[in-house]
Amino acid sequence: MHATEAIVTGKPVARTRRRAGGLISPPARGQRDGRRISYRLWFALPAIALTVFFFGLPFIANAFLSFTKWTGFSSTISFNGLDNFISLSKLGILGHATYVTVVYAVITMLAQNVVALMMAKALQSSNRLNTFYRSLFFAPVLFSPLAAGYIWSAMLAPAGPINGFIGLFVPGFHFAWLGEQSTALIMVALIDAWKWSGLVTLVYISGLNTISRSVIEAAVLDGASAWRRFRSIEMPLLAPAFTFNVVLTLVGSFSALDIIFSTTKGGPGDATEVLNFAVYNQYGQGLFGTSSALSFMIAILVMITAVPLIWYLRKREVHE
Amino acid sequence: MSSTTWVTRNGRATTVTKYVILTVVAIPWTLLPLWMLVVNSFKTESDAAVPSIALPETWNIVENYTTVFTDGDYLIGLRNSLMVSVPTVLAVLLLGSMAAWSFARSRSRSLRFFYYVMALSIILPPAIVPTVVLLTRTGLTSTVAGYILALVGTRLGVMVFLATGYIRTLPIDYEEAAQIDGASRWQVYRHVIVPLMAPILFTVAVMTVINVWNDFFFALYMLKGAGNATLPLTLYNFANSSQYGVRRNLVFAHVLMTSLPLLVAYIVLQRKVLSGLTDGGVTG
Repeated sequence: MHATEAIVTGKPVARTRRRAGGLISPPARGQRDGRRISYRLWFALPAIALTVFFFGLPFIANAFLSFTKWTGFSSTISFNGLDNFISLSKLGILGHATYVTVVYAVITMLAQNVVALMMAKALQSSNRLNTFYRSLFFAPVLFSPLAAGYIWSAMLAPAGPINGFIGLFVPGFHFAWLGEQSTALIMVALIDAWKWSGLVTLVYISGLNTISRSVIEAAVLDGASAWRRFRSIEMPLLAPAFTFNVVLTLVGSFSALDIIFSTTKGGPGDATEVLNFAVYNQYGQGLFGTSSALSFMIAILVMITAVPLIWYLRKREVHE
Repeated sequence: MSSTTWVTRNGRATTVTKYVILTVVAIPWTLLPLWMLVVNSFKTESDAAVPSIALPETWNIVENYTTVFTDGDYLIGLRNSLMVSVPTVLAVLLLGSMAAWSFARSRSRSLRFFYYVMALSIILPPAIVPTVVLLTRTGLTSTVAGYILALVGTRLGVMVFLATGYIRTLPIDYEEAAQIDGASRWQVYRHVIVPLMAPILFTVAVMTVINVWNDFFFALYMLKGAGNATLPLTLYNFANSSQYGVRRNLVFAHVLMTSLPLLVAYIVLQRKVLSGLTDGGVTG
């Protein structure tokens, strides 16, 4: 309390207790850094420990376990090189699931960012009406992906409202969007995009609002059209938000599972069997080694796309 | 003069067109799915078998929602979801902000290394199988405590990443002033840093609540037994408990009840939530 009083009133608070090695008290020889680091470390330690235990160590363990023979039926874990990856390839699981995952993630990422950019542009200024529309478009973010899947499997059912609407123009239209090989993957990816677009929109709005008005006004005075201003000023200055959204939506979709559980369950056939779905299947059969290998495949996908993507997008960022 | 009137009239026409389009988009985007959810949860099973936006022929509200409570384990799920979400969010905020303060103000190399590890935890996928094994070996498997620890350990990254960036933009003077006045480290954190960080704490709280309340992936692997199930898991079990396919009326009633706590909180706090997420510096 004393500290805050001092800040608020600007008056020093009478208090004599001083600590050695405080932030600005003259350091005792060699002690300053040691002390400072030690209390900094104490403050960070719980967070570091939890992250190391529940993210770091499992991640490293997973990388190793991908190359081991490990099942629920035997207590021994033995190194077996690339056997897991080879057998998964022979079964047609690895290549197919990777392909499905990449297609899913790319569709989700594109749909989310295109929709969100348009929404952000339309709802950029914070007036009453825009706030109302923002809150409408944000609502799907609150639903669980599982719920989103249940809702949209009804919307997209052969006799559901979407087909009913198309039926107004194409009489007797009947199509199982989630039941056909050709459309199921696109549809589940779009449901994912539907669920998250509201949040991505807010990030873009926040990015647009950091662009100073004077730059835009100068362009208006110079006679730049709305499209030209968007193309030549806002897009480049939006780059940090763009990098953030593209990377997170793409990388997040590599780990998709929930929506598929509540819509297609991997089907029809194996059309929507993403990597995480295959991970769960292998795990359920007690095949922990191959399960880890598939899980590691997701990590590889993230690493080979996120790192070049961040590097490339960062390079293109301009700063005002 | 005439050109200015033309511009304003044109501007008004554009504005009207914009809101017409937005409304046309909002109908299938939000209103229709919500309507579907509500109206079908009031129907009988055979009535809802063909999903439509029509009003129910027979209103079956009481039966459906009673079934969600009796067969859908709703109260168990609600209790567990609260038992998980509240401590998880509090732990993420507390531990994350403490760590962020250290990361933002220290030039120590080891701390910087761990900062990068935590930032990486945002984009790298969680290694689910070893995590479950770790929980089993430590006797925490299938317990709510183990699940909470795993959630906190994988959700701290976002908090630390955003909060570290935020604290770096704050002047260090306040902390130094408090230190001169004899405040302990904990007092500096509690009375200087936390109040200054309030906006980002709120933003992260919102994101974490949405994320944790809806988590299905970790729950699927880590929570075994009906007694431990959180709401997404009770919903999933309920939806798959019938041999005769999805009983849409009941599943929708459960979906609505599962989402209700967040929806209510959102309706009450929506202005704050939206401005928090927009101005809270999600982009860092």
